[in-house]
Amino acid sequence: MGEDIIAAMKENVIQGRKTEEDEGIDEELTGPGVLELTKEALDKGISPQVIITEGLTAGMQVVGEKFSTKEYFIPDMLASAEAVGAAMDVLKPHLEASNVETKGKFAIATVQGDIHDIGKNIVSILLKGAGYEVHDLGIDVPTEKIVEFVREEKPQYLGLSALLTTTMVVMGNVIKALEESGLRDKVKVLIGGAAVSDEYASEIGADAYCVDGFDAVKVLDAYQ
Amino acid sequence: MLVIGEKINASNKSVGEAISNKNQEFLENLTREQDAAGADFIDVNAGVGHGTWENPAMAMEWLVDIVQSVTEKPLAIDSDTPSIIEAGLRKYRGDNVMINSVNAEPDRLEPVGRLAAERRASLVALVMGEGGIPPTVDERLDAAESIMVHLTRLGMQEEQIFFDPLVLPVSVDSNQGFVTLKTIEGIKSRYPSAKTVVGLSNISYGLPNRGLVNRAFLVMAASAGLDAAILNPLDARMMSFIRVADMLTGNDPSCKGFIRAHRKGLLVE
Repeated sequence: MGEDIIAAMKENVIQGRKTEEDEGIDEELTGPGVLELTKEALDKGISPQVIITEGLTAGMQVVGEKFSTKEYFIPDMLASAEAVGAAMDVLKPHLEASNVETKGKFAIATVQGDIHDIGKNIVSILLKGAGYEVHDLGIDVPTEKIVEFVREEKPQYLGLSALLTTTMVVMGNVIKALEESGLRDKVKVLIGGAAVSDEYASEIGADAYCVDGFDAVKVLDAYQ
Repeated sequence: MLVIGEKINASNKSVGEAISNKNQEFLENLTREQDAAGADFIDVNAGVGHGTWENPAMAMEWLVDIVQSVTEKPLAIDSDTPSIIEAGLRKYRGDNVMINSVNAEPDRLEPVGRLAAERRASLVALVMGEGGIPPTVDERLDAAESIMVHLTRLGMQEEQIFFDPLVLPVSVDSNQGFVTLKTIEGIKSRYPSAKTVVGLSNISYGLPNRGLVNRAFLVMAASAGLDAAILNPLDARMMSFIRVADMLTGNDPSCKGFIRAHRKGLLVE
């Protein structure tokens, strides 16, 4: 019985159905969505860890594969990620009660001078869905504010976003400021955005470049 | 519908390289092609200074000279930096000119508004302030209001202002097509002499069949009152839809423009 619920949950993540009202990729699909199935699973005594790893994350993994082969598009991916995000909100108190740690604290910001937020928001949603504690510092965030957040809140990971060739240099300034504050070795710095690349990441001393949100999940999971 | 040809932009890789390497012929050809395809304005964006160009204002001057040497079409001087805009305007000999662009931030609105007033230029104004693109119609109309107040105080006429209602991808927020259309309608009803202009292609980011989405959106935006579009005039399908939109919104008397385009074999289904 428990296995059926988990299998249905994974399938509904892939279908992008948050609730029973939602249409899936397959328009024939009806019945409970991810949210209802999560509550049902908890009622049946299935552990939050099993729900996350075998239901939610397993489903998102398939979504990631379909996105990378261009079978899925951004709206498909966002619907799945929203379903997972809603399930994570339901699971949060249970995780806290059973002392389960998140996979780590991740802060993300679009750097000063740049106001693009779509890419940053997608990365936030996907990492939240993958079990990270995400702190979104916003757009056009001054370097000092990012450094202060790293000092005070001690995230293990920092994501920097910039879309423009004029603002990608600011990501390098943030890394320099972290070095000068003696914080560089406390946090892994990941960069992303249309203008940047692997080469640029090594040029400015970032730990990694992520091509998209799924790549960010892969990179962070590899640090676990 | 005014067509602003977008191809001469340093953020297009091949154009950026042509500017860096001073490949004059490539840029001249791209200008002529857009002119011949029916662009009403040629946008000129020289980027922020790469390769041989340490000084982006000098790159703009060089590029303006090249483009104006091969077309009679007016230029749209494209930069968000007032000093680069000023350099482009200084070099440009034509009377009719557009500046692309400012937003509601006073630090840019003030100097660029003065330049536009002095030169009697058209000015593209994005309806956003410092906080990024507002997600709602009301916030965008508020930004338009503060821009209008500021620019008329500097002596600009309403008809010189081309408001960009802004386009966010519908793949990320399914209301955004509607938000842009309602913003166009709101601007046209508040400021009947002011113009509206958009870059369309952001609407289809993250979707399949993007060209189809862009063309349909162009027609819907024309119906909402759009006056101008920044796009690739070499896209024959899109240009066909522009002719259709002009005809269906009553801007092509006796359908002459449409039928002329048909006779020239310019229309693509």
